[in-house]
Amino acid sequence: MKVKENLMKYIFLLCACISILAVVIICLFIFVNGVPAIGEVGIVKFIFGTHWKPSSNEFGIFPMIVASIYVTAGAIIIGVPIGLLTAIYLAMYCPVKVYKIVKPLINLLASVPSVVYGFFCLVVVVPVIQNLTHTSGKGILTTSILLGIMILPTIISTAESSIRAVPSMYYEGALALGATKERSIMKTVVPAAKSGIMSGVILSVGRAIGETMAVVMVAGNQAIMPNSITSGVRTLTSNIVMEMGYATGMHRDALIGTAVVLFVFILLINICFSLVVRKKEK
Amino acid sequence: MKKLICTLLAGSILAATFAGCGTDNNSSSPTNTKKATITGQIYPITRESGSGTRSAFSELFEVVDNDGNDAITETAESTSSTSVMMTTVAGNDYSIGYVSLGSLSDDVKAVKIDGTKCTVDNVKSGTYKISRPFNICYIDGKLSKTADDFRSYILSTEGQSIIEEEGYIPMENTKAYKSSGVSGKITLAGSTSVAPVMDKLKDAYEKVNSGVTIEIQESGSSAGIQSATEGAVDIGMSSRELSDDEAKALKSEQIALDGIAVIVNKNNSIDNLTSESVKSIYLGETTDWSEIEQ
Repeated sequence: MKVKENLMKYIFLLCACISILAVVIICLFIFVNGVPAIGEVGIVKFIFGTHWKPSSNEFGIFPMIVASIYVTAGAIIIGVPIGLLTAIYLAMYCPVKVYKIVKPLINLLASVPSVVYGFFCLVVVVPVIQNLTHTSGKGILTTSILLGIMILPTIISTAESSIRAVPSMYYEGALALGATKERSIMKTVVPAAKSGIMSGVILSVGRAIGETMAVVMVAGNQAIMPNSITSGVRTLTSNIVMEMGYATGMHRDALIGTAVVLFVFILLINICFSLVVRKKEK
Repeated sequence: MKKLICTLLAGSILAATFAGCGTDNNSSSPTNTKKATITGQIYPITRESGSGTRSAFSELFEVVDNDGNDAITETAESTSSTSVMMTTVAGNDYSIGYVSLGSLSDDVKAVKIDGTKCTVDNVKSGTYKISRPFNICYIDGKLSKTADDFRSYILSTEGQSIIEEEGYIPMENTKAYKSSGVSGKITLAGSTSVAPVMDKLKDAYEKVNSGVTIEIQESGSSAGIQSATEGAVDIGMSSRELSDDEAKALKSEQIALDGIAVIVNKNNSIDNLTSESVKSIYLGETTDWSEIEQ
């Protein structure tokens, strides 16, 4: 019995080590390959340069950084209100029968492959935006809508579970004081669930900034500074995926440098996430 | 009561969705009939930098700066796949793009360049100038027996007829293929433009030689040539000529010729473009369809 237990302990440890090893190797790979490239271009020129022309050795990724931030912000603006209100409905208003249909559908939304989202958006959303705005239809707006839909499941499930975790006495107390149902929810339950909702938002920022395949199809991918909400943009991730297959030499290193910047972004997001979670535990 | 509201709400959402689809179709149909001459901003679409199709395109239309570097305008939308290129041009009345002749379909309209239509015959006779070679490359003398047999199959009458079926221009003076009963494994890597036709060749070849398995990796011309130089793969596929440096290490052979078609939306009234206008569109100098002289 003892032997078996010990054996299992080491197997668990081994499994844990594999994932840690993976993270460490990925970090090493990205930084060892990417940082020298950034150094060669010059860190200021690399991050704040506005021209990306690999064929003439110009590697400035500022347009991509701006693009990534814009589309992520757009996704949050579109996705968070819809997701939060859906979560409130699911947790507080929804009859069991409807819940049994809606909840699995939302889970299904989470498991749709991102390429499918991208193609759907390319064929359905792009023409609509094209007709409404008389532009090419690909750009910040379309990408934001796409990402807004893609982050819905994350927001809905985290917000719903944190609303459900609020002790029912908060809600009942508010009702007892004479507040309406809607008011009790918005003024007591939702504020009490705030940190859980925040962590959901941060998780979805991570998802939106890292999304690649779907974004490549609808963002337009011009490596220029966007000047309107409908202008085409290229995000950090799409820059990497579009050119990695062909790139050689300095071009390739600059793409890994782009990955370094993306990685730093993701790290910052994760740090924010753990700060919020820690605050919640206190 | 609540149930009723829920049902009504769900019903109206569904109805709105379908109505949305309906109006969408309606709004696009008037554009089919009008537009005697097209005006409006041009949306040029290009492939990503490093693509074999892009480098051939920019070279052939001389969309280059003074140093000979690719100078396709940064405002051009770029995409990393032929299918997204086709879908975009098919969906946007004002767009223009370019694809390999073999991947051309009826969803878009290929324009004549300087009055010449992009067809297999015109590329073969040389009247349609916008064409590029498909090459295979390998280290001379180091080719395995199996790989050499596959190479001779590609260049045989049988192999070339497959290439022609796929819409590319085959080589002339081919010999019939005779199986030498080889077996083993061959790996190829390179151009995403060559890969689809190579896939067809592979299927046909494996039918004749059941002992051979062929693996094709799509990595882009430059990466494929590099892998072949390093000996990581048997044969590299390239949709452009090898550079002088690359040609030192490898022997290359042309297996087909491919035309590059310039495509526009089917609603576009323009049928013919001069190579000068294509060049100026992609340099970003011409930005409106009304500026195009036909």
